[in-house]
Amino acid sequence: MSDTLRLDEVVEFAENPEPRCPCVLLLDTSGSMQGTAINALNEGLQTFKEELVKNSLAARRVEVAIVTFDSSVNIVQDFVTADLFSPPTLSAQGLTTMGAGIHKALDLITERKNLYRANGVAYYRPWIFMITDGEPQGEFEDVVEQASLRLQADEASKRVAFFTVGVENANMMRLGQIGVRSPLKLQGLNFVEMFVWLSASMSAVSQSKVDDQVALPPIGWGTV
Amino acid sequence: MSTTLKQMVHWRVVAASVCGTSHVKNEQLCQDAHNWQVLPDNILVAAVADGAGSAKLGKVGSMIATTAAVESVQKHEISRRALSSDDFVRSLLTNAMVAAKKAVEEEAEATSSSYDDLATTLIVMVATPEGVAVAQIGDGVAVARDYQGNLLALTMPDSGEYINETTFLTSFDSIDNAQLRLWRQPIVNVGVLTDGLQMLAINMAVGAPHKPFFFPLFEFVANIDDKSVAKEQLVKFLRSERITQRTDDDLTLVLAALHE
Repeated sequence: MSDTLRLDEVVEFAENPEPRCPCVLLLDTSGSMQGTAINALNEGLQTFKEELVKNSLAARRVEVAIVTFDSSVNIVQDFVTADLFSPPTLSAQGLTTMGAGIHKALDLITERKNLYRANGVAYYRPWIFMITDGEPQGEFEDVVEQASLRLQADEASKRVAFFTVGVENANMMRLGQIGVRSPLKLQGLNFVEMFVWLSASMSAVSQSKVDDQVALPPIGWGTV
Repeated sequence: MSTTLKQMVHWRVVAASVCGTSHVKNEQLCQDAHNWQVLPDNILVAAVADGAGSAKLGKVGSMIATTAAVESVQKHEISRRALSSDDFVRSLLTNAMVAAKKAVEEEAEATSSSYDDLATTLIVMVATPEGVAVAQIGDGVAVARDYQGNLLALTMPDSGEYINETTFLTSFDSIDNAQLRLWRQPIVNVGVLTDGLQMLAINMAVGAPHKPFFFPLFEFVANIDDKSVAKEQLVKFLRSERITQRTDDDLTLVLAALHE
């Protein structure tokens, strides 16, 4: 055998889709978010995109979806890889149908996983990142309770990781009862820094190896 | 006729483990390991292991596991005749996994470490000209090719629901949950690899090995003249830009061909 043989010139690789790292932003667009809060949030979304695409693997692996809740629940952005994500400009009005929003976010994740499985796409544990300045309002209490129970079951079975960020006047105690993880309190309207952190965290997750304990960056933008 | 032919054949083997670029960057040791032996009667035993990235002593775990697994098979002084019994093959592979697990646990105790510090996957393969048997805990893949050119994935990566999870030898029920596969078919090639190469070597959607990946490599190992040159070529391949562009993980590849 010739020692000049270059295996990398003769061996071809399987074309598998990139593993995906789904992240739903579940955003409160109720009336109380009007003004500086919603503007800061919009600015934060721009930052999120900019930061994600700085990392070429994260740009291809992290998939972003946006669900808003006010008097109704809307899928503003269905799942899209970070490189193709075009941040929307959100406006705020109406009530806070948070329970329905949580249901919708969990539905989206379930559908997405089914799609991944049907197409042989490997994936990481999905994240839902909820941002609110209030508490559930304008929907039946049992909707919220059902959402909370479903969320807790999904967390327990590792189907999702759900994070809550409270802004300004958010009812932190109520939020703490809905999710499993302690809600984080955003300092002021520091959305930009928060989204820089979220991008860094998603990048870390999307490149983690088998059984890596993913070390998330320290949180400088809020408090537990 | 086939008896004379088979007496003349022998295994040609080339294997390498190289450190992934992410580990080089972080000055970590390569956490993959491999070990193989050609035993009398044309029996090839090979083991590969991938120490967990989060385990402090992942490299130690994978080295100990592969060494212990190969030694365990070697100690049985097996013959191809004995391997014709499915029960014997099953107990041979189970004993190899038990020996590997015990060796890792003893190392953990000797160094006052936790089992998790030495967490590692493990694949053990026993191949003869008449067939191949594999036991696998965790990620990675073992493949074999028969005379007709059929290429079969004997095992599939066991990575749980999420791509960054898997099972480890050190988990309490690892041996009960191991994949065991026996393929009785005259074979010409076998290959074993750790998860770093999975996405390049397997068409994940259909769970089938990618022929254009394996066939040139099998051709290469069948035609080895000089073992050390061949190993160098394999290492060079695993470090080539085409590979490092696609994966930054540790990589292990064991390739074998029956040669007349």
